[in-house]
Amino acid sequence: MRTEAEIMKTEPTIEQLLRWRAAHAEAEAPPAPRAALLLELARPWWQRCPEKFAVLVAGFDEIQARFGHAMETDAGRGGSFPVPAVISRTNVETSLLADILFLHFRGRTLRLRFQLQPMPELPEPNLDVTFVATDSPRAMFSAPASLSPGGDYRLEIELSIEVAQAWAHLRVTDRMPFRFVLRPADEA
Amino acid sequence: MPHNPDVGVSGGVVDLRPTTGSGARSDNEAYELARSGQVLAMRALDLGEKGASARLVGEESAAERFFQDAVAVALQALHEPSARPLDLQLRAAQWALACGDAVTARHLLAERSVEAGEGMAESWAQISDTDAWLDAWLIATVRRSPPDELALNALVRRYWKPLFSRCRMLTSNRESADDLAQDTWCRVLRGRDRLKPGGNFRAYLLMIATNLWRDSKRSDLRAGSLADGRVSSLDREITLGDGPAVTLAEILPDLTQLEAAERASLKHDLDQALERLETLWRDVLIARFLDGESCAEIGHRYGRTEQTASGWVRRALSEMKCCMEDLRRNAH
Repeated sequence: MRTEAEIMKTEPTIEQLLRWRAAHAEAEAPPAPRAALLLELARPWWQRCPEKFAVLVAGFDEIQARFGHAMETDAGRGGSFPVPAVISRTNVETSLLADILFLHFRGRTLRLRFQLQPMPELPEPNLDVTFVATDSPRAMFSAPASLSPGGDYRLEIELSIEVAQAWAHLRVTDRMPFRFVLRPADEA
Repeated sequence: MPHNPDVGVSGGVVDLRPTTGSGARSDNEAYELARSGQVLAMRALDLGEKGASARLVGEESAAERFFQDAVAVALQALHEPSARPLDLQLRAAQWALACGDAVTARHLLAERSVEAGEGMAESWAQISDTDAWLDAWLIATVRRSPPDELALNALVRRYWKPLFSRCRMLTSNRESADDLAQDTWCRVLRGRDRLKPGGNFRAYLLMIATNLWRDSKRSDLRAGSLADGRVSSLDREITLGDGPAVTLAEILPDLTQLEAAERASLKHDLDQALERLETLWRDVLIARFLDGESCAEIGHRYGRTEQTASGWVRRALSEMKCCMEDLRRNAH
């Protein structure tokens, strides 16, 4: 029978167990991936799948044809200009609009809230939002957005210096210099 | 810039005596030439020190500019036919790495003079071996576009094991851990222009991994009953009595005395126990005991008080202990 002092000395605490397990997990690590592979995986999806991107961007024309009138009249009633958006799921593309509800810059950080019109019956909880320029079919950057309990999507991203400067004076009621390609986060 | 050609530079191997030049030049011309080289060298050293100071206080853009200027001025000084600090070439290579210019650093390494190499072999060897580069050098070169692949390989290798270990603790699964670790690197590389060479890269990497894991768990929460992980509500009431002291007397062996079979069994049980824990408890345990976060910091992260976080830690410990006791009892 061990004494209490012996037990105190040898019995591990949860902290020690966690540290012990973490140390062993290091030893079990597989070989590190090569930089070339990581760089390839880290490339934006529109560079890895340019054909797919071209198809989705072509969908913006359809939005203009279907929603062009609504896009102008909504803004005319004092609202914001809806942003054309394409949701890309596996083999299915859906065209719709995104109402910009909130747009705020703090330094280079953009905070944005938007709502899809019409709202999909089963909205994705997380979306990867790709910002596509309006003056050319050019992807600018992408950012993750989460669905809020209120049904709008929220995102926050630190912009490049160039984009931050170009958009610094953008207001929520302005015509937005971007369009959205939306992809479910788990497919992104 | 105030300058006295007779005064050496602290910390450097400096010989600022004016060279006398060839017979065709007057002493005055030679002195002026030497002086211009010395002024440039002094200017480069000053810029290099400013770069180091800026990096120390986290002013990365300023640091990068100072280091770039230091390299440019040093290269100019190295082309002057005058006396200069013997270690200027080495310092220029170090500044080049500090601002991510691996090409210039390697060029300086290849072109180094025998004279400049004397007594500095160790420092040059560090520059020639990418695996020996400082974190700040690796990160600065990875930040560039395109990133230096040798530097990225070295950086990935340096932190792969701790990253994988953290992912393993978070996911309790080898395959998921591998995926999470790889996703973490992809996330880091996508935002690599925002990396801070003077920051704590290990902590940053582990934070990205933990955030990605938390995000995936938040998705599980939204996915409701279809999710494969259990996620606790932050607002659920936690009831704790005085609770037992958190040691695992009678059920666990001394970690230093384990046989291979016992070790494997304990690892398995620990993985199982972590797997059984709700996401919040696992997160809290890892944050508190592996990252060393205080209860105040954990609480702040979740928008809760230190007291609440302290309750979570006790509850997490208690849950983990129960899981372990259960598993160990069944094992015996």
